[in-house]
Amino acid sequence: MSALVLTHVTKRYGTRLVLDDISLELARGARLGLIGPAASGKSVLLKLVAGLEQPDAGTITVLGDTITRPHVREVDLGELRKRIGMLFQSYALFDFLDVAGNVAFPLEQRGGIPAAEIAERVAARLRAVGLAGSERKLVGELSGGMKKRTGIARATVADAELVLYDEPTAGLDPVTTQKIYDLLAADQQRTGASVLAVSSDVAALAELVDEIAFLYRGKIVYRGPARSIRDAPDPLVRQFVRGELDGPLTEAIG
Amino acid sequence: MTGLGAAALRLCRELGGMLVLAGSVLRALVPPRLDRRELAKNLHKMGNRSVPIVVLTAFFAGALMMLQSGPFVKKLGATSLAGWGAGYAVLREIGPILIALMFSGRVGANTTAELATMTVTEQLDGLRALAIDPIRYLIVPRVLSMIAMLAVLTVIGDAVAIGGAAVVGRLMLDIEWSTLFHSFADNLEPADFLHGVWKSLAFGGAIAIASCYFGVSVRGGTVGVGRAVNAAVVASAVSILVLDFFVTYVSAP
Ligand SMILES: Nc1ncnc2c1ncn2[C@@H]1O[C@H](COP(=O)(O)OP(=O)(O)OP(=O)(O)O)[C@@H](O)[C@H]1O
Ligand SMILES: [Mg+2]
Repeated sequence: MSALVLTHVTKRYGTRLVLDDISLELARGARLGLIGPAASGKSVLLKLVAGLEQPDAGTITVLGDTITRPHVREVDLGELRKRIGMLFQSYALFDFLDVAGNVAFPLEQRGGIPAAEIAERVAARLRAVGLAGSERKLVGELSGGMKKRTGIARATVADAELVLYDEPTAGLDPVTTQKIYDLLAADQQRTGASVLAVSSDVAALAELVDEIAFLYRGKIVYRGPARSIRDAPDPLVRQFVRGELDGPLTEAIG
Repeated sequence: MTGLGAAALRLCRELGGMLVLAGSVLRALVPPRLDRRELAKNLHKMGNRSVPIVVLTAFFAGALMMLQSGPFVKKLGATSLAGWGAGYAVLREIGPILIALMFSGRVGANTTAELATMTVTEQLDGLRALAIDPIRYLIVPRVLSMIAMLAVLTVIGDAVAIGGAAVVGRLMLDIEWSTLFHSFADNLEPADFLHGVWKSLAFGGAIAIASCYFGVSVRGGTVGVGRAVNAAVVASAVSILVLDFFVTYVSAP
């Protein structure tokens, strides 16, 4: 069974066509990276997969459940979402809770987990992302990188079957970036979760995922092995990944 | 003309949105699975912390009623009715309306700003992604707290306002305490008091739904937060007065 199936998914905001008839499949336990120019719809695609937004057309099936209307209502998504971990690009931290409160939240809301075990798992997660000692800080007191790491800790504290990471390391220093990717890779090894990760740091992303897809003008124009992404046959992708100024991409973007 | 049409359309859309939200809140109440921590936090924030400002406004409102009506009452030699005029107005109208307006300015506006900020920073999506229903988790405790606390504050305000009226009657108009007491106790009925409490429950519901609705339907990032607060305060004030008219009309003797 597939972890994720998108069939002919289209999403518009007003007159802007963000995702244009996208079909995509992710096998159980597979790890896919998603790259693309700014505002190409990467975050929108993740939100659709998490059921936070509805597509204008097409169907999305996550872990065997169809989550697009008219098959499903918001209230039916609860059980499925407990099996999904999501890191938002904007962190989406709860500012009414402190760092430890944010990370503990998914476990507390699940119910039935003893408080001592929650505290232990939260502490371990915070150590893993390098935030030990910041437990009692409020969200407003954190630096950008600390927010990101709190978000990662919250998204990964409860083991999920499908994880969605939106820019897990944007704004982090190179050493921390490496540490976070090692952590995400170790998590994946341990749980066997399926991964859909968006990142602009293609080199680091290539170590976490097996395949990379390139989203461009509302379509997935390329999908291929992550290791050799720098030498992808598609000149658009090659230019994007290498960050070259001359090429079809620049001409297209204008 | 088109401007008028657009405004009417917007009004309908927003009234519709508020009704839908009210419906979802009612649905989320069965079964009543509430986050107790959120409820307790909101009861405290909305209720306890509003007491000083309610006491202050209510005291002076009551005092004013007596100051305005007292001299006539005395001129007519009807001091036994002195408390009745002030008490009747306070319990049935001034108390509930004044405190609801204060409450909307303080608690309603605060709630809208808080929910709107959470919405633009994607915290509501964050909750949904963690399988938490924002209506159940954030809105229901706020709505219940607002309704309950406005009613409690109105009762407190009623008492303080009558106290304020009595103090003015005694100190400035030289009416005996016992006369004042009897003029309240003999002329005011439980129905007068309950009339005001019913109203405060309706006002609390209106403020709660308006402030939550404009909070979660915010558009346009942080700039939208100010607009949302504005709209919520205006909508609350208007609905307080409109509701007041209808509740009074329906329950008129
Ligand atoms: N809620 C929304 N309302 C209106 N337009 C939206 C909304 N969300 C996204 N968009 C639009 O959809 C397009 C894609 O946005 P998205 O956030 O998915 O880009 P992205 O690929 O994640 O970009 P970045 O790399 O900069 O994060 C943008 O043009 C954006 O303006
Ligand atoms: Mg994005």
